[in-house]
Amino acid sequence: MEEKKLRDDRISDAEDEVFVEAIDEDLTSEELKDSMVSRESHGEANGQDITEGEAAPGFVTSKMKNGDEGEAGTENVSEPATHSFSENGKKQLVAEVIEETRNGGGIEDENVDVSAGMETEQEAGNREGADKNCFDDESGKQRNGEKSTSEENGETKGHISREHETVRNSNGGLGVEHTSQPSKESEKQQGSRVNISPEIEETPRLERKPEVASSVSPTQSTSNTAASPPARPAGLGRDAPLLESTPRVPHQPRVNGNVSQNQSQQAEDPTTAETDEHDETREKLQLIRVKFLRLSHRLGQTPHNVVVAQVLYRLGLAEQLRGRSGSRVGAFSFDRASSMAEQLEAAGQDPLDFSCTIMVLGKSGVGKSATINSIFDEAKICTDAFQMGTKRVQDVEGFVQGIKVRVIDTPGLLPSWSDQHKNEKILKSVRSFIKKSPPDIVLYLDRLDMQSRDSGDMPLLRTITDVFGPSIWFNAIVGLTHAASAPPDGPNGTASSYDMFVTQRSHVIQQAIRQAAGDMRLMNPVSLVENHSACRTNRAGQRVLPNGQVWKPHLLLLSFASKILAEANALLKLQDNNTPGKPFAARSKAPPLPLLLSSFLQSRPQAKLPEEQYGDEEDEDDLDESSDSDEESEYDQLPPFKRLTKDEMARLSKSQKKQYLDEMEYREKLFMKRQIKEERKRRKMLKKFAAEIKEFANEPRENVEEERSEPASVPVPMPDLSLPASFDSDNPTHRYRSLDSSNQWLVRPVLETQGWDHDVGYEGVNAERLFVFKEKIPISFSGQVTKDKKDANVQLEMASSVKHGEGRSTSLGFEMQNAGKELAYTVRSDMRFNNFRKHKAAAGLSVTLLGDSVSAGVKVEEKLIANKRFRMVMCGGAMTSRGDVAYGGSLEAQLRDKDYPLGRSLSTLGLSVMDWHGDLAIGGNIQSQVPIGRSSNLIARANLNNRGAGQVSIRVNSSEQLQLAMVALVPLFKKLLSYYSPQQMEY
Amino acid sequence: MAALQMSREWIGIQQFPPATQSKLLEILDKFKQEDVSSLTVLVMGKGGVGKSSTVNSVIGERAAAVSTFQSEGLRPTLVSRSRSGFTLNVIDTPGLIEGGYVNDQAVNLIKGFLLNKTIDVLLYVDRLDVYRVDDLDRQVVTAITDAFGKEIWKKSALVLSHAQFSPPDGLNYDLFVSRRSDALLKLIRAAAQVKKQDMQGSLFPVIRVENSGRCNKNESDEKILPDGTSWIPNLFKTITEISFNGSESIHVDKKLVEGPNPNERGKRLIPLIFAFQYLLLMKPLVRLIKSDVSRESKPAWEIRDSGSASRRA
Repeated sequence: MEEKKLRDDRISDAEDEVFVEAIDEDLTSEELKDSMVSRESHGEANGQDITEGEAAPGFVTSKMKNGDEGEAGTENVSEPATHSFSENGKKQLVAEVIEETRNGGGIEDENVDVSAGMETEQEAGNREGADKNCFDDESGKQRNGEKSTSEENGETKGHISREHETVRNSNGGLGVEHTSQPSKESEKQQGSRVNISPEIEETPRLERKPEVASSVSPTQSTSNTAASPPARPAGLGRDAPLLESTPRVPHQPRVNGNVSQNQSQQAEDPTTAETDEHDETREKLQLIRVKFLRLSHRLGQTPHNVVVAQVLYRLGLAEQLRGRSGSRVGAFSFDRASSMAEQLEAAGQDPLDFSCTIMVLGKSGVGKSATINSIFDEAKICTDAFQMGTKRVQDVEGFVQGIKVRVIDTPGLLPSWSDQHKNEKILKSVRSFIKKSPPDIVLYLDRLDMQSRDSGDMPLLRTITDVFGPSIWFNAIVGLTHAASAPPDGPNGTASSYDMFVTQRSHVIQQAIRQAAGDMRLMNPVSLVENHSACRTNRAGQRVLPNGQVWKPHLLLLSFASKILAEANALLKLQDNNTPGKPFAARSKAPPLPLLLSSFLQSRPQAKLPEEQYGDEEDEDDLDESSDSDEESEYDQLPPFKRLTKDEMARLSKSQKKQYLDEMEYREKLFMKRQIKEERKRRKMLKKFAAEIKEFANEPRENVEEERSEPASVPVPMPDLSLPASFDSDNPTHRYRSLDSSNQWLVRPVLETQGWDHDVGYEGVNAERLFVFKEKIPISFSGQVTKDKKDANVQLEMASSVKHGEGRSTSLGFEMQNAGKELAYTVRSDMRFNNFRKHKAAAGLSVTLLGDSVSAGVKVEEKLIANKRFRMVMCGGAMTSRGDVAYGGSLEAQLRDKDYPLGRSLSTLGLSVMDWHGDLAIGGNIQSQVPIGRSSNLIARANLNNRGAGQVSIRVNSSEQLQLAMVALVPLFKKLLSYYSPQQMEY
Repeated sequence: MAALQMSREWIGIQQFPPATQSKLLEILDKFKQEDVSSLTVLVMGKGGVGKSSTVNSVIGERAAAVSTFQSEGLRPTLVSRSRSGFTLNVIDTPGLIEGGYVNDQAVNLIKGFLLNKTIDVLLYVDRLDVYRVDDLDRQVVTAITDAFGKEIWKKSALVLSHAQFSPPDGLNYDLFVSRRSDALLKLIRAAAQVKKQDMQGSLFPVIRVENSGRCNKNESDEKILPDGTSWIPNLFKTITEISFNGSESIHVDKKLVEGPNPNERGKRLIPLIFAFQYLLLMKPLVRLIKSDVSRESKPAWEIRDSGSASRRA
């Protein structure tokens, strides 16, 4: 019992910590509640398991113990839950940084799944990835544990033996010992499991040590991936660990002991693995801490300075989150760090490995250059009160207290709207300047004594945001120059206090920045600056502000602190998209590789010469031709047939009618076939004709052209567009009428049919044209510009293809389209080989430029035509960008009707696989269309992906209207019935 | 309302130190001698430069609301004080700049407010301790010129607020002031389209002002500038000089507020244009048509047709 108490204490201890962490992370109360609930439910679930276990045969332990264990079990389960919660808390931070607000983290698994079903594939993929992000392997495994336990409870012993074996394998032979451990021991384990600090861990665990050591090894791989940068978070798919860890679940005849033990092990292994791994990280973090303390020491700041204390606190927090180690570790390492820093500083040898780059931005004449001069305490840049001091971006490097500081001075910006294009030019030059070596900190300067009201700085701030992106403000410090100036008189004529004035002024600027950046959470630190030579100084010669602050160390400390925190973040990978030392410049999202890949994998038709335009299926014709030759004459050989009128039809008997209809269908079929045949023949003739013409000299062709151009010279009205049905009494088709002229440019409006009533549905313009270059190379051009209330979209496509040699052709395409806010440019080329009758191969390359990232892709395509009815297209490809690779493949099989163009039955099977970040997405799709009866079709469709989301739809369509109307009655009747039935129930 | 304000006694003058008071009374006497009973001063400038504070300093009481961080709204305010038969009207205007633009609405409001009033003196206020002159300043000056005509600059003075300040980089105070005022004057000249020699002829007065309660004072408790001059009497003196400088006061009438009537423009040219059209366009055209008609040769069948038609009729 004593043991148990101890354990309880520890558990509650650990829980407290977890909560502290959680609260520190500003989790919303809702999230807290969520996780609490889930924790409770976990506990309950386990309790049930245990009661089942009690009933199970082969349960040896006494009743007393059993109760005890039941409790242990509940606690036990609740424990991993809290762990996973803390995981969530941490990842939540990440999520916050990425600005992906999601409620409740990944706890509500089902929720996500459901929504995934509703979302588009791509979105779902993203969500899924993030979801996995939220789940460390631990919580995932915890679920596994649950699953496996419930399995075990329900399952037969044959299953058990198999598991036994796998256990032995994974445990390296020690598994047997482990499984036969008495439950008492497992209890102890539970006690030990919670503690992470090594001193406590060791004693109770001694007996189990070999087992732990062995069991660590398989876990390590997974936990390593978990700890590895979240850039590859999806590597830990929910499915993957499931497969991996199920074999590790040891099975015991004593089910009850098993429950707790499983879970204890699962919860524990990652932590032990991580503590090992985190020793290194912690060491590094410690170094950062020491570095920061040295910096602050050099700047003459004690660890009790607000900024210093805050940075240290944050570092500790980050460490806790990362390593989940107790708070004592933090305190302990702080003492060590500060003593180490003092030693190093006293020795004065070990050079400080730190440099900071500060970029100065601000209005013209606020004192940017003067501030830089003050930072270095010498006139590095000449300043002039009346002229633009700085005309171009320049670097100033120097040492402040032995710390290397690099400052980027920029030309002054102008506040008026009319000057914003000048500002833009200046800022663009700044942007190109900092591309090579991005600054760590941005110092935005403004004058303290200027009352920039009436949102006077808004144009300027907005321009900065536009040029650099809102992320520029994430690492920005607001500097207020002329800080020694006296505050203006208050409303009642008396002088207002300095601090009040500073607070108000900084609030105004912060608010303006928030507005300009569009991020209300921004809270830029404010530092005061005074460059005036007549500024009051202290004994050390440092400038002192009216409030007694020595501003320079404060400013530098703020900048260094930001840099240090960024470094720590980079180390801990808390912010995966904040690459170290490159907090904002040129940071761009990874291109949506799966999207690009899937669009690349689509096989697109080759551009064709105008005269070939209709001969798409020439290759297929070859296959058909031989078989059809005899049927051709068949239609002509048929006896003459007279169609019956309706009256005559009515007089026929049922069997006669059927015969008549069959006969008619047969004839129709034959007739259509013949027509198709003739059409083909005609085309072939045309082709031959065209080829002959080409052989002639120019003269006859001119004639041909003249002839050709004449009939089309009169513009012909295009057929009216069919508009969707609406309740609008007005029929607006007249708005969309257009003429089809002889112009080779085909220009059409893009219609938005889903618009409002009475709304002009024009969304854009579409233009197409086919050029023929050198009479051999067709170049097709199509462009589309659409604009709605929010944004404009441009899409432009150019394609051309060259045939060279027998059955080989190369096509080249250029594409430009909007992707989000940026334009994506794609160049792709394809090579097709049509050497064989039955299969065709194609290979392609593509390069896409999206924003400033380039992605390249390769694909291979194989088309297999087994026979007239069956064909299959397989393709596979890979797309890479910035070291990121996405693989994808697809397979499409098609089974057609016996007599293809006429028959209606058609079955297709599609499969697609996409692998990105190790996140495997598989989707399948089956569609089948079967004719039933004469005039009805049944279309069944099903799709499913590997996340369990799918869709099944069955559709029947009929061309007989009466039947259709009858079908429509079904739901009506159903509804009516549902109205009646409750009343009947009452009687 | 206006009448009420008119009748208000200028009590604030008593709050000035005796030395200042005596100087001011001297100036008032001068007005009496010239038989001028009222003087209207318009104060304009960017937001936050200290217009309202200047008004308060001039009046000697907190007549206009001053807030450090908020602008006062778009309406101009009239402060008028009378002292022994002489009325001083000071019109405080809101800052003309909002969000990087000149606020046309504010300008129109000011114009409407000034309807049927006469501006004797315009005080254009800007800060002394700002180093640069930018496009916004130019826009403000241009807006004033557009609103009241460039003549107004002959009745105006440049007021530099925050005058108690020590220039950066060890610059000499006087040098700084002259350079700053030169920069602003250049701007005003350019925007007002005033030729340089005109400006040279009537030296554009520059007044420095320090409205802060921290302003230094001399032994007779007068607020003084760093160069030792007591600035309030100086300001009044300059205002007086401007009002007597011979140029016409700007009377804001309907025409000025609404701009020139487009219907009146070029009215005199109408008969000329008409004559031109009649003589040079219509006459030759008619001649041409007539000669063309006479030269026309009708085909035989048409003549016959028309002949038969006429016969039938």
